[in-house]
Amino acid sequence: MSRRNQELLFLLLAGAVSTMAYVSVYASRFREIDTVAVVHALAFVGIFLLLHIVERLLLPQADPFLLPLTALLVAVGLTEIFRIKPALALVQGQWLLVGAGLFIATVVLVRDHMRLDRYRYLVGAVGLALLVATIVVGTTVRGARLWIHAFGFSIQPSEFAKLAIVVFLAGYLDDKKVLLSVPQRHLLGVPVPAFKYFGPLLVMWALSLAMLVFMKDFGMALLFMSIFVALMYMATARGVYVLAGAGLFAAAGAIALNVVPHVQDRFRVWLDPWPYAETTGYQLLQSLFTIADGGILGAGIGRGYLLFPDKSPVVPDLQTDFIFTAVANEMGLLGAVGVILVYLLFVWCGFRIAVYAPDGFSKLLAAGLAAAFALQTFIIIGGVTRVIPLTGITLPFVSYGGSSITANLMLVALLLMVSNRTNILRGGTELERRRLAERG
Amino acid sequence: MNRAMSRVFTVAALLFVVLVVNLTWLMAVRADWFRARPENKRSIAKEMKIKRGDILGFDGSVMAGTVRRSGYYHRAYPGGTLAPQLIGYDSVRYGRSGIEARFNDELTGQATGLGVQNWVDKLLGRRPKGAHLKLTIVPDVQRVAQAELDGKKGAVVALDPTTGALIASASAPSYDLSGLEDHWARLSEDPGAPLLNRPTQGLYVPGSSFKVVTASGGLDSGKVTPQTKFVDTGTYVVFGGKVTNYGGAVYGPNDFTTAMTLSINTTFAKVGNRLGRTRLIASAEHYGFYQTPPLELPAGEVVPSGRYGKKGLLKPDAFMDPLDVAWAACGQEKMLATPLQMALVAGGVANGGRVMKPYVVQEVVAPDGQVVRTTRPEQWLEATGAATADQLNVMMQRVVTSGTATAAALQGIEVAGKTGTAEKGDGTNLAWFIGFAPADDPRVAVAVVVEDTLSTGGEAAAPLAAAVLKAALTQTDLP
Repeated sequence: MSRRNQELLFLLLAGAVSTMAYVSVYASRFREIDTVAVVHALAFVGIFLLLHIVERLLLPQADPFLLPLTALLVAVGLTEIFRIKPALALVQGQWLLVGAGLFIATVVLVRDHMRLDRYRYLVGAVGLALLVATIVVGTTVRGARLWIHAFGFSIQPSEFAKLAIVVFLAGYLDDKKVLLSVPQRHLLGVPVPAFKYFGPLLVMWALSLAMLVFMKDFGMALLFMSIFVALMYMATARGVYVLAGAGLFAAAGAIALNVVPHVQDRFRVWLDPWPYAETTGYQLLQSLFTIADGGILGAGIGRGYLLFPDKSPVVPDLQTDFIFTAVANEMGLLGAVGVILVYLLFVWCGFRIAVYAPDGFSKLLAAGLAAAFALQTFIIIGGVTRVIPLTGITLPFVSYGGSSITANLMLVALLLMVSNRTNILRGGTELERRRLAERG
Repeated sequence: MNRAMSRVFTVAALLFVVLVVNLTWLMAVRADWFRARPENKRSIAKEMKIKRGDILGFDGSVMAGTVRRSGYYHRAYPGGTLAPQLIGYDSVRYGRSGIEARFNDELTGQATGLGVQNWVDKLLGRRPKGAHLKLTIVPDVQRVAQAELDGKKGAVVALDPTTGALIASASAPSYDLSGLEDHWARLSEDPGAPLLNRPTQGLYVPGSSFKVVTASGGLDSGKVTPQTKFVDTGTYVVFGGKVTNYGGAVYGPNDFTTAMTLSINTTFAKVGNRLGRTRLIASAEHYGFYQTPPLELPAGEVVPSGRYGKKGLLKPDAFMDPLDVAWAACGQEKMLATPLQMALVAGGVANGGRVMKPYVVQEVVAPDGQVVRTTRPEQWLEATGAATADQLNVMMQRVVTSGTATAAALQGIEVAGKTGTAEKGDGTNLAWFIGFAPADDPRVAVAVVVEDTLSTGGEAAAPLAAAVLKAALTQTDLP
């Protein structure tokens, strides 16, 4: 079976499962199976079939698993959002449409991801500008400055900056990897690369620290720093960067802990939430109670206790940062682990694409995007389950939020482009090869 | 590069494994622990989806019912607020208390043995309906008790001495259950403690009402009879201290019955020392002191009576010198008692020396109307023999006919009782009355305590007792 036919088969499977889940929630909410529910579900399947057709035309040899996995995660998110607040699910559905548009735009306009390498400094500058703009004109929501309000929309620029930074770093590090991995001198007997090449690490550290201090956003700072360390390591295969990165981030964390009260609260609550059950620890404890309540099999989608009698969610921010809490409650341990496995499969696909990619830039781009995706997932799921301190970032594809879903659909587009190129170079048809050459 | 990438993937995968391990711990291993945390109010909210059983008075009227609003059942109190501290609150935000807490499994249909329909519901995974509780509280009597306490601080307990059934349990100041969530801050900080269930949680100096216990021990020991002669000089000097009478009165020659009738402290102090500390305390234990009365309320909502030190209830054999014994025999020193305990003392005398196990839930009624549990009266303690009980009964009748409690007398019905007046030292008194009626065939025993009054037990507490006894005895149907 060709890659595209495999993808179609998986998509239809994912679509069928999603439709059943959505219709059952709809039925439990409105006590009837309405044509509206079926229309919603068909629209959802239609959007992904559209993306599938775009792939058939432009990325014929792209990985067949990523899009169905994405569809599954989006379906889980839409269903839970609908279950928490039906009106928001329609908005999220529109964001999915916008995201699909950006996915197509990325594939059509970028044509070949290798072209991005040529504009790496421009892309990097855009990423940096997005972050600086957030710091300068952003608004503070719940203690963290993450949002820019413009034209009636709220945008979370860091989600897009994440992509831009990975593109830039992949290109930059691929260029400089030899220089970075060859020690130039020794410091206390330890071989250390030249400061000139070591510099980016410090720039990134300063950027993370700025995000912590100005945006008060521990989650994104941790994510950016980890992406950078992971890429440095993958480019140079030198463990010293991991140690240095961890050390620098710990230092940044220690500074933030003493300077930013918001971060301090989060840390204290993480260590021991019980004394703060009615105050700063309320949200985390309610999340833990709600998750624990799911048990092994869960309450059933649409049947968990997620809303107070007045319809406000039992955990504040349930549809965004705490969407995993809702998933765990209603789908139980089995469902929650299933969702984590879907993420793991997604990440595995990303790394597989990186391993098979023929050139350094493609490798670092795919691996960087996959690592970013994995880390973001870990940071937020770990946060709401008290593995690490809670930080407000979104769960990719599942959380409510336009920036998150559109940025992550672009991430999928980039991964698919890398795999398409790899597969064509390794064994595509003559026609596919010629088309690829024309695009680049 | 590929090796480094597969290492990074391995790290990512390990992080996900950490998430899965932690989730397993949260959702499978420790799930029940999280459910049981007091900070976790989720179960209450979930149970609001269940049609909570009604709490009915003994006459079948609804004391606490439910109304359904947008899929959730909320408590409603159609009879006005009756016995709020006993019934307890049921709040998503503040939890539960009283009968609502103790019988939550029955009221939410989660207990076992709640009828066929309930069993079938559970078998089919349907949401069960809650079972109803029929209390022994008689709303008409309860209303009188609450009205009598209105504007005062104190408690009234009325029970059937032959069964132990609680007929009325009033606590003042009181509050409105339906406004609990709105007024929680004010109610929980009010120095008058309206949330406290005084009948079972209020520890008061029993004062002279305790003399019934002393007399019971004295008569049992054979060291005194109702006719034993004493001489009162107004002061009894013992162990370097002295015992005096209320108001500095001097009674001269008296017998034990007169000492009970007029509440002569010096005589009871002497009887106490003739008994000695061991037998005095043992007599209290026979009536239930030093034990938590087995009334069906949550732990902590019924407290034991006895001698209290700084760290709570003292051991029965804690040291007392003869002066301590003398004052303890008059219900002073470190002796503290709940109104429920003092009602059980009166009930024990009324019931020929047998203290019945107090209870408040008469029946558990399945949602389909089937009675699935009925409380059978049981004897709790053997406080004294019938002979002593009869002698006490006669002495206590004299208290009402010609002693300190004439205000407790009822037209055409012999009432037996004992007053108590404990001076708090700030000019106010704690006024007590314990008693029962009809004296020859007791059907109701009461304990009344009024705090912060300028009057005596005979003036402040006895009239309330009379009103409650009258209301109870005019009922055709008592538990």
